[in-house]
Amino acid sequence: MAETLQSLARGFSVALQPAVLLYAFVGCVVGTLVGVLPGVGPLAGISLLLPATFGLTATNAIVMLAGIYYGAMYGGSTTSILMRIPGEAASVMTCIDGYAMARKGRAGAALAIAAIGSFIAGTGSVMALMLLAPPLANFALRFGPPEYFALLLLGLLVLAYMSGGSMVKSLAMAVLGLLLGMIGIDQMSGFFRFSYGVVELGDGLGVVPIAVGLFGIAEVLATAGQEVPPKVLKPKLRELLPSRQEWRESVMPIGRGTVLGFLIGIIPGSAHIISSFVSYAVERRLSRHPEEFGHGAVAGVAGPESANNSATSGAFVPMLALGVPSGPIPAVMLAALMVHGVSPGPLLIKQQPELFWGFIASMYVGNLMLLALNLPMVGIFVNVLRVPYSLLYPSIIMFCVVGVYAVNGSVVDVWIALIMGALGYILRKLGFETAPIVLGAILAPMIELALRQSLAMSDGQYAIFVSRPIAGTLLAVGAALVLLNLVSWMVRGFDWRKRIPLDEHGENL
Amino acid sequence: MLTTDRVGGSALCLLALFVIWESRTLPLGTWRNPGPGYFPVLLAALLLILGALACMMGGGAAPVTGVGWGEAGHALVILGLGAFICLALERLGYRLTMLSALLFLVWLVEKKSLLAAAAFAFGLAFGSFYLFDTLLRVSLPRGPFGI
Amino acid sequence: MTRLRLLLAFLALAAFIVLAAGYPAVAQEPYPSRPISLVVPFPPGGVADLTARPVAVAMEKVLKQPVGVVNKTGAAGAVGIQSVATSKPDGYTLLLALSSISIIPEADKLFGRPPAFTVDQFAPVALISADPTILVVRAESSWKTAKDFIEDAKKRPNQISYSSSGIYGTLHMAMELLSHAAGIKLRHVPYAGGGPALTALLGGHVDALASGPSVVLPQIKAGKLRALAGWGDKRVAALPEVPTFKELGYPEAEFYIWAGLFAPKGTPEPVLAKLREAARVAVADPEFKSAMDKLETPITFKQGAEFQKFFDADAHRLAEGVRKVGRVEQK
Repeated sequence: MAETLQSLARGFSVALQPAVLLYAFVGCVVGTLVGVLPGVGPLAGISLLLPATFGLTATNAIVMLAGIYYGAMYGGSTTSILMRIPGEAASVMTCIDGYAMARKGRAGAALAIAAIGSFIAGTGSVMALMLLAPPLANFALRFGPPEYFALLLLGLLVLAYMSGGSMVKSLAMAVLGLLLGMIGIDQMSGFFRFSYGVVELGDGLGVVPIAVGLFGIAEVLATAGQEVPPKVLKPKLRELLPSRQEWRESVMPIGRGTVLGFLIGIIPGSAHIISSFVSYAVERRLSRHPEEFGHGAVAGVAGPESANNSATSGAFVPMLALGVPSGPIPAVMLAALMVHGVSPGPLLIKQQPELFWGFIASMYVGNLMLLALNLPMVGIFVNVLRVPYSLLYPSIIMFCVVGVYAVNGSVVDVWIALIMGALGYILRKLGFETAPIVLGAILAPMIELALRQSLAMSDGQYAIFVSRPIAGTLLAVGAALVLLNLVSWMVRGFDWRKRIPLDEHGENL
Repeated sequence: MLTTDRVGGSALCLLALFVIWESRTLPLGTWRNPGPGYFPVLLAALLLILGALACMMGGGAAPVTGVGWGEAGHALVILGLGAFICLALERLGYRLTMLSALLFLVWLVEKKSLLAAAAFAFGLAFGSFYLFDTLLRVSLPRGPFGI
Repeated sequence: MTRLRLLLAFLALAAFIVLAAGYPAVAQEPYPSRPISLVVPFPPGGVADLTARPVAVAMEKVLKQPVGVVNKTGAAGAVGIQSVATSKPDGYTLLLALSSISIIPEADKLFGRPPAFTVDQFAPVALISADPTILVVRAESSWKTAKDFIEDAKKRPNQISYSSSGIYGTLHMAMELLSHAAGIKLRHVPYAGGGPALTALLGGHVDALASGPSVVLPQIKAGKLRALAGWGDKRVAALPEVPTFKELGYPEAEFYIWAGLFAPKGTPEPVLAKLREAARVAVADPEFKSAMDKLETPITFKQGAEFQKFFDADAHRLAEGVRKVGRVEQK
C-alpha cells in the first residue's frame, strides 16, 4: 500500500507538469464537446485526433486521448437531458428520465447530478484501477465466449425491467431490436444477411444511427409540428442545484452505478455501453418507487451516468495491465502507444512506471477538471432551453446529421438515422417503447457470436456452458432471477385478485 | 376497431413474416451448429408470436385516429428535407446542403423573415463546418467549386 | 405565391449546381496539383492505418502536395476498397490495402454474390511491407516446436483450436494454408478482429493463433506466448531462432500480411510512374524508416513488375485457399 502511494506521488509529479496538464485539459474539453454533439462518440473523437498526437510524447498523447474518452461520458448527458437526444450511445438511458426531469423544470438538477455522479464514479473507478489492475485483468481474461454468452443473456433479462408499459409490447420492441442487429456480415460463416447489396451495411446498422434516429430525430418529428410549441422554461439560479431530497435519492444509485460500470468495463470486448442500460434496470428494480421511472426519477439519471463513466476506467484495466486491446477504444490507445515506441504488454507497468502512474494521476486531475468545467456550464447549457423551438429544432437536425455522418464519413448512416427517426415517431404514436430496440440491436450480434463461438470451441457440445465455472454461475444466477420473478408475479397475481373485493368494502390493507 | 396496439401488432407480424421469407437463402444449420439463418428465423418467429399477442390483447388500447396526428404533416416535410440532405450532402457539399436545408426550414416552414433566416442558416451552416472540419478535423464533403 | 416561386427558383438553382458538379473537370495541369487522398479501408489504430500514416507523410515530401489519410471502414475493408475502385482514375485517390484485397472477391464468388470489387479494378503502385505471420501458442502449453504441434494435430484431428480475426480473414487463411500443407485438421473459432483473437489465446480459450509479429512480440518477450514457426520466406528479424515452415518442409505454407499502394485502373501511365517514384523515395526516407521500426514492421519494398509478380502469386495462393475452405456451412 505504501509502495502504491509512493508510486502515485511520483505519478502526480508527472501529471501536474504544465505540459501534461495542458494536454489533459485539451482532451477533456474535446471530449466534452464530442460527447455533447449527438452521434459523434468517444471512439470517433479519439480516432480523429489520433494523428494529431503523433508529434507529442507518449505520456501527453495517452493523457489527451484518455481525456477525450472519459470527457465524452461527462458531455453525453447534456443533450440527453436538455433535448432527449443521446450525445453518444451510452447516454441513451439518460434521455428517458433526464429529459423528464427537464420538462418538470429540474434540468439544472439533472445536469448537476449527472456531473457529480460522473465525477464520483470516475474518481472511484480510477482508484480501483490503480489498486486492482493486475489481478482484475487476469480474472477478466478468463471471460471467453461461454462466459460472454451467459453474461449477455443476463443482460437480456435487463430488458424486462427497462420499461413500464405492457410487457408484451416491450418484449416485441426488444425482439425488433435484436432482429435489426442481425443485419450485416455473419462473423461465423461469411454470409451477408439482409444487406441487399449495400456494402456499407456489412457491419450492421450501427448503434449511433439507431440511437440518434430513434431518440433525436423522432423527438424532433414528434414535437416540431405541434400547435403549442414546448414551453420555454426559464429556470431561476436557485432551481439549478439539486434539492436535498434529490441528493439523497442519488447517493446509492451513484455508488451502485460505479461498481457495476467498473465490473462491466473490465471485461474485454463487452460494449461498455451496456453498463448504463444495466444500471438503469438495477435502479428500477431496487427502487421503492418504480413507477417514477420514465417520469423523472433521479436514480434513473444518477445510476446510468455513473456507470458509463466508471466503465471507461474499467476498460483501461486489461489494456494497461496486460497490453491487450479490450475494445475498439483501448485498441486505438494501444496503437498510439506503439507509434511512440512504447510496446504495450504485460510488462508495461513495470517498464514504464512514469507513464502508468502519470496516466493514473492525470485521470484524477482530469475528472476534477471536468467537474470544474461542467458544473458552471450547467447554467449556460440550461439557457439552451430558452431558444425558441422553431429555431432550435433545425439546429438539432443539423447537429444530428453531422454527428452521424462524422462517425464513418458515410451518407448511408444518415439514411439509417432518418429511417429510424421515422420509425421512432410512428412507434411513439402507437405507444411502443423505443429504448429496448437500442439495447436489442447492441446485444443481438454479440449474443449470437458468443453462442456460436462457444459451440465451435466445444465442437457442438452445449455442456460447455455449465462445465466452465464462471459461465455456469452466471447462468445459474440468471435462472434464479427468472424463477424469482415468475414466483413473485404469480404471488402478486393472487394478491391483486384478493385486494379488489377488500377495497370495494372500504377496508384498508 | 383499429387500435394502436392492433396496428402495431399486425405490422410486427408482417415484418416477422418478411424476415422469415428473406432468410430462406440462409442455411439454418443444426442445433449443434447454428447457421446464419438460425437466429433471424428464431427471432422472427418470436416477433410473430409477440405481434399476434399484442393484436389480440390490444382491443383496449386507444384508437389509432384518436392518438392525434396533427404534427404528421410537418413531420413528413422534415423527413422529405432529410432525404434531400442525404442526396445532396456529397454532391452539393456540406455547407450548401445545410444552408439550403436550414433556409428552407426557417424561412419557408417556420415563416421567419428572410433576412433573419438567411443569417441564421448561413451562420450555422458555415460555423458548424468550421467547427467540425477545421477544428475537429472531421472531413466533411465539399461541393462544386470546393465550397 | 411569391414564396412558392422563390422556392422553385431555388430548387432550379440547386439542380443546376448538382449538374455542374457532375460535369467532368477539365484539368490539364501537371500532376499533382491538388491534395491527394490515401484511403485506408480500416479503422484508425490498426496495422493498415499505422502503416499508411508514415507513408502519407513521406510521400507528401516528395510530391509537394498534402497527402491526407481517409479512413473508410466497413465490411472487413470492402467498403473502402470499393470506394477507390469506383473513383476517378486521376491519381488523386489512392488505396493502401492489405492482402484481404485478394480474398474478398473470392469470398464473394464463393457465396454467389456480385463482387463488391475485383482485383483488376486496380493498378498496383508499390508494396510497402510484408509481415510474415507466425504461429504462436501459450508459453505453458506442451508444444515446444512446430513439429510437436503438427504431430499432435495429426494424432488428434479437430481437437486443437485456433482463433482468427474473422472468417476468410488473413489470420484464418494463414492457418488454412498450413493445414492443407501439413495435412492436419484444426478447429477454427472466428473472432471479430485481431485484438479479440489475441485476447482469446491469452485467456486460454483457444490453443493457437496465426498472428502478425508486431502485435505478439511484447507478449513473447514477456514470456506469455511462444512462437513456433513462421509463414515467411525468411525468418523474422526479431525472432531469429524461430524457423519458417518452408525450412520445416511445408513450402506451400507461405503467407504475408502485406500492405501495398494501389491506384484505380485507368490512371494515366505518367501519373503511375510518378507515384511509383514517390513511393520509392518515401520508403528510403529516414523518418519513415524510424516510424516503421517503432511499429516493429520491416519494410519490404517492391515495385512495378516485381510487385505485380508478388501480388499475382499471393492472390493465386489465397484464391486457392479460399476455394479449398469452401462454404463453412456445407461441411
